[in-house]
Amino acid sequence: MTSILDDYALMSPLRSRNNWLKLMIVAFGLLAGVSATSPIPPLFIALCMSLATLLLGKIPLSFYLKLLAAPLGFAVMGVLIIAFFSGSGAELYSFNLVGYSLAIRADGAELASLVLSRSVSGMCCLYFLALSTPMIELFSVLKATRLPDSLLELSMLIYRYIFVFLDMALCIKFAQTVRLGYGDFKKSFHSFGMLTGTLFIRSWEQGEKLFISMNSRCYDGKMMLFEARKPVKAPEVLLTSMYFLSTIALLYLTRGVSVI
Amino acid sequence: MTIIETKGLKYSYPDRTVAVRDINIKIEKGKKIAFVGQNGSGKSTLFLLLNGTLKPETGEVLFHGKPLKYDSKSLREIRKSVGLVFQNSDDQLFAPTVYQDVAFGPANLDYPREKVEACVNRALECVGLSHLRDRPPHHLSGGQKKRVAIAGVMAMEPEVIVLDEPLSNLDPVGADDIMDLLNEFNHFGSTIIISTHDVDLAYRWSDYVYLMSNSELIGEGVPEELFRQTELLKLAGLRQPSSLEVYHELERRGLACGYQSPKTLPELVNALRPPELMWVDAPPGIREGDTLNLGILYGEYSPNSPYEAVNAKVLHIHPEGKAIVELKRRSIKAGGILLYDTDSYSYPEILHLIEEGDITFVGAMGKKSKTLAEEDGIFLDVTTGVIDKSILTALCGKRCMILTGGGMVEHAFKRIREYVEMSGIELNVGVFNKEEGLPWIEAFEDSVEVFRT
Repeated sequence: MTSILDDYALMSPLRSRNNWLKLMIVAFGLLAGVSATSPIPPLFIALCMSLATLLLGKIPLSFYLKLLAAPLGFAVMGVLIIAFFSGSGAELYSFNLVGYSLAIRADGAELASLVLSRSVSGMCCLYFLALSTPMIELFSVLKATRLPDSLLELSMLIYRYIFVFLDMALCIKFAQTVRLGYGDFKKSFHSFGMLTGTLFIRSWEQGEKLFISMNSRCYDGKMMLFEARKPVKAPEVLLTSMYFLSTIALLYLTRGVSVI
Repeated sequence: MTIIETKGLKYSYPDRTVAVRDINIKIEKGKKIAFVGQNGSGKSTLFLLLNGTLKPETGEVLFHGKPLKYDSKSLREIRKSVGLVFQNSDDQLFAPTVYQDVAFGPANLDYPREKVEACVNRALECVGLSHLRDRPPHHLSGGQKKRVAIAGVMAMEPEVIVLDEPLSNLDPVGADDIMDLLNEFNHFGSTIIISTHDVDLAYRWSDYVYLMSNSELIGEGVPEELFRQTELLKLAGLRQPSSLEVYHELERRGLACGYQSPKTLPELVNALRPPELMWVDAPPGIREGDTLNLGILYGEYSPNSPYEAVNAKVLHIHPEGKAIVELKRRSIKAGGILLYDTDSYSYPEILHLIEEGDITFVGAMGKKSKTLAEEDGIFLDVTTGVIDKSILTALCGKRCMILTGGGMVEHAFKRIREYVEMSGIELNVGVFNKEEGLPWIEAFEDSVEVFRT
C-alpha cells in the first residue's frame, strides 16, 4: 500500500495537540505571510513552520524536501517570468536572446522575491497542517463550523471508503499486470477501462452492503463524532505566543525594506 | 430456554431463486451454535432473516417466543438483541476511526454520552484493542479489523451474536484469537451463532450443529453424533472432521477403543488402545527382539477380516520357558483396488465388474469421470482423496474400484504400488480397460497373499 500524507499525519506526535491551536497557527502564518511587504517575514515563517514540522512532527527530512520540491518548481517558474517581464528601474542583469533584449529590473526582482517568499511560507504552513492533522481530526473541526450533519456524515463515509477502494483498485491493477494487461498502449487502455468499470460496480455493491450493515446496528441518522479533549498546555501557549510576537515584530520592522 | 425459533422459513431472491426454504430451528440460550454448509448453501441469507434485515416470504421468526414484527420499532429491538458480524470486515467498518465505529451502535440506541463511552471502552478492552482506538480502520490488520467489527456489535450488548464466517481470511493465530474471544463471550452468557464450512472448527467448538445444503436444513444434532453420519456429510458436500477421520481408521485397526468421538488431539490419544501383550511358550533358541510367527487367527479372534495372520515381537523371556510378546496382526485377506480407465467407458461393463468382482466401494477421480458416473447414477462412495481412501478400504479387506481417465490411471497405479512396496502389505491392484492392463478378475481369484512383517 502506498504511503500518503494522511499516514504521516496519523503517526505524527503533533496529532495529539489541540486542533484549534494548530489551525490558528496556520491561519496566522498564511495571513502574516500574505500581508508582509518584505520577503523577510515570510521566510521567517517558512523556517519556523518547517522546523516545527520536522522537529516536533518528526517528519523525515527527505520526505519533506520531496514534498516541497513539486510546488516549489512551479513557484520558481512563475517567479522567473515575473522577474523578467515586470517592473521598471535600474537594470540589474540583461542578455540578448535572438535579437530581443531580456532584462531583470530592480522592481521586478523585488516583486519576484516577495512572491517567492510568500508562496514558500504558504506552502510550509499548509504542509504543517497536512502533516500534523489527519483528516479524522478535521471532522470534529468541521462539525464545530456547523456544516450540515448529512454532509459531514457523507464525507466521513467517503473518507473511509477511499481506502477500501484504493486497496481494491491496487489489487485489480496488480491482477491485471501479472496477466500482462498493461503490455502495450492499447491493452493498457482496455485494462484501465475494465478497472474503472469494475470499481464502479464494486462501489455500488459496497453501498448496498453498507446500508445493510448500518441498519443491523440500528442506524438512526447518527454518526458519533468525538472530539477528544486536548487542552492547550502552557509550553504550547508560550511557544506559540513567542512565534506570533516575533513575527509581528518582524513584520513591523521590515515594513517596505527591500532586499535588493 | 429457547431464544430464537423459526418456523417454516422461506425466502427467495428477487429473481425467484430460492435462498432458504423450510427452515425450522430452535436456538437455546447460552449455547454455541454452528451452521455448517458449503458456500452458497444459504447460511448468510438465513442470518439476515434472523435479525430482520430480510423479511421471509412464508414462515416466521420468533424471538423469546414472540413472532418478529417488521415495523421500525420492533426492528430496532431485534437488531439490538441480535448482533450481526459480517464476513468481510470492510463492509462493517465504515467510520473514520476505531472508536467512532464501535460507538456507532450505542450512539444510535440513544444512550447518553457517558454510557456510550463506557460501552465502547468496555468493548474495546474485551477485544484488546484499546490502544488502537484513534486509528483509522485501514491501518489495522485483518485480525484486528475482525476484532473491531466484533467490538462494534458487543458494544450494543446483544443477547445473541451471529457471525458469518468469522475465520475467513485469518491466519491461524488470528483465528485462535477470535475463537478464544467468542468462547469468552459465551462464558459470560452470550449465545453465539457462527456459520462456517470448516468442519473441524464446527466439530471442535460448537455445542450444536445445523447442517445446510442447497438452501435447506439437512441435519442437526450435537457434533459428536452429527459428524459420524458420513452419508449426510457427503450430501452436504463436506468431509468428516480430520480428528474423527483419524480416529475411525485407528478404531478399525483395533488400535483405539470404540464408540468415542475425540475432538482434540489429547482426547484422540486417550482413545488409543495399548499394544496387545500376551504370554506364550517360548520356543528354544529365541531371543528378545526376535519375531515369532503365531499362525493364523480366525473367527471372533480376528475382528477386522475373516483371517488374520499374527506375528509377535518378543519383548521379554521368562526363565521358565515363557515369553511376553507384542502382537502384530495383519488381515490376511487384504482387499484389492481396480482402476477403471474411463477413456473407453461402458456402463454395463462397470455394472458387471461391480457385481462379479464383489466391489463394495467405488470412487471417481477427475471431473470427467465424476460427471460420467453421475449421469449413469453410479453411486460414488468417495470423490475426494480417492486413492488414500481406497487404500484404507482395501486394507480392511474390501474391494474397491476407482473410475478415472487419462494420465490419472498411471498415477493412481504408481501411488498404490508405492504403498504396497513401502508397507509390505500385498494389495491386489489391477487396471481395467487399458490396452496393456492386467486382467484383474483372474488375478483376484482368492490368491493368498504373502504375509510379510
